[in-house]
Amino acid sequence: MNNIALWILLASLSLVMGPGASHAYEVGNVQTGGSIHGRVSFLGSPPEPLHFKVEKNPEVCGQERSLMKVEARDGFLTGAVVVLEGIDTGTPFSPKTFTGNLPGTGEFRYLGGESLGLEVKTKDCNFGPFTGVIAANEAVRFQNQDSIKHVLHSFVSKDPRGRILRTVHNQDLQPRNEIVRVFPSDKMEDGVVVRIICNRHDFMQNWLYVVDNPYFAISDQEGRFTIDQIPPGTYTLLVRHPVLGEQRQEVTIEARGDLQVGFAFVDE
Amino acid sequence: MTRSIRYLCFGFIVGSLGIVYALPPAEGALLDGLMEGVEESLGKKAEEKGERLVIGNLYQAERPDSHAPIGVMQDHTHNKGEFMFTYRYMYMYMDKMRNGTDNLSSNDVLKDFAVTPKNMTTQMHMFSAMYGLNDTVTLMAMLPYVMKEMEHQNRAGVNFTTNSSGFGDTKLAALWRLYAFETPSIGSHRFHLNTGLSLPTGDITPTDNTPLGNNSLLPYPMRLGSGTVDLLPGLTYTGVRNDVSWGFQALGTVRIGHNKQGYKEGNRYQVNSWGAYRWADWISTSARLNWQQWYNIKREDGQLQTTVGPAQIPLVPTADTDRQGGQRLDLMGGVNILFPEFMGLENHLNVEAGAPIYQYLDGPQLKQAWSFWVGWQMVM
Repeated sequence: MNNIALWILLASLSLVMGPGASHAYEVGNVQTGGSIHGRVSFLGSPPEPLHFKVEKNPEVCGQERSLMKVEARDGFLTGAVVVLEGIDTGTPFSPKTFTGNLPGTGEFRYLGGESLGLEVKTKDCNFGPFTGVIAANEAVRFQNQDSIKHVLHSFVSKDPRGRILRTVHNQDLQPRNEIVRVFPSDKMEDGVVVRIICNRHDFMQNWLYVVDNPYFAISDQEGRFTIDQIPPGTYTLLVRHPVLGEQRQEVTIEARGDLQVGFAFVDE
Repeated sequence: MTRSIRYLCFGFIVGSLGIVYALPPAEGALLDGLMEGVEESLGKKAEEKGERLVIGNLYQAERPDSHAPIGVMQDHTHNKGEFMFTYRYMYMYMDKMRNGTDNLSSNDVLKDFAVTPKNMTTQMHMFSAMYGLNDTVTLMAMLPYVMKEMEHQNRAGVNFTTNSSGFGDTKLAALWRLYAFETPSIGSHRFHLNTGLSLPTGDITPTDNTPLGNNSLLPYPMRLGSGTVDLLPGLTYTGVRNDVSWGFQALGTVRIGHNKQGYKEGNRYQVNSWGAYRWADWISTSARLNWQQWYNIKREDGQLQTTVGPAQIPLVPTADTDRQGGQRLDLMGGVNILFPEFMGLENHLNVEAGAPIYQYLDGPQLKQAWSFWVGWQMVM
């Protein structure tokens, strides 16, 4: 009788959790982790930055703004998001902060720990850098440090370039206020990137790639990235960019090994 | 025919509720996930133009034309957690009598009736609220305060006026987002389903003093509600591209049962189509065509006096259940003004006025001369 009750309970739980319930990342010890170093190059001429005449709130946002969708210097790409897929157990998420391009000084702050802990600090009509990362089913704190309202509109896409985008949230971000929003897994199903825009200020556009572990990096101004303390094993290493798309390669991490990799995007 | 339409509308509402309950609990438009073929095709075309296809809730309060002309209700859905309060004022003036498309003089009407209406004003103060329950459903409630005044003339040449006023019928509605998509080159396109109920809170036994006596029961056009629970099914489509916006809405009012006075008002159907142009961030102008068709009353109010004298002369056309139906096409012009962040909220001041360009009445009936709307909307 007890067994029947147990089976009914298990069946009910499986129905509640649904077939899509995925295995969550667990923090554990990595004693002999390896690392990956690499550079992302860009072969070609980056497109000219987009220029916007600011129509709403120029007193805060400035009279004109620009948006550089492909930022490359000396043939190396800045802002490419590098993600290692398929790791279920490993180090905690590291705290990190990335600041947006001037004149805006918005920030993507990752608090770290057992989860990513993303905070988006909007300042000077800037959400943060053009690219970043986000985790499904986690609360994201959106802070508005400006004295004006922004309207945060977020979308998810199954395609790294965001060819087809679906609304997740469309919400007012009141002056000097904050909201907390979860990007639920049912809306994020198969989603690889979240785009956030402000409905009031069209130059505010950012792309956050979905991660489920702390093994990610964002290429710096010289195109360099580093991921370390990786548990030994074979994984897929992805590099993603909202304009240039995605590249991937299989990598094998050896205990205490240091793997050098390179990616090259070509101007189409 | 009417019964079939009623069943159809009832089925439409029950069916839509069934669809909603059958769908997974994820919040989103009802047809999300069912249009992947269309999305792929649109997404491919957008990509060829260097654009992206956006699927989802596209409501933006930041345009003056983000709302339809003020005479249109339930025209947009809201984002989750968003409130909108609206105050609308409507003034409608009806003047002179008509039968079919023929104008009649008072003397023409008085050949067959003891009394003829000469003109009528209807004023409504409408208080409504919309709330984005989630990304699928927007709720709406509206309570009107109605004031009616009708001027009459009898065969003796005596003029008299009757008045009625009070709260009208309460409307409750749920707007279900069906689908929305957008690309820069084709603009944004949104569809939603309107379902609702009208609750009989309006007085259907108003009285006033007339030459027939004090506290006489007033005829049908002077009543403040239908007295029945009415279904309010509908479908709405709106679009925006650059500075132009447009919309189409079909709405029905389908009466259920008979009221306590023993009659049932005729069903009413209307189709709105409008276009607007945004001249600046804060102002847009609009033109709207509104087609309405409404039917005669079924059965009758047994307490309402319909004849007078031993010869049983018909008293007044407004007391005749077979002289209530009609069709009308109105042309309306409007202005929407946006006051962004006024008192910290998006505020819209909208004005609209117009007149019929066609009306066919099962008369003699008063014909509509013109109407005027003004409204203030606050989105928070």
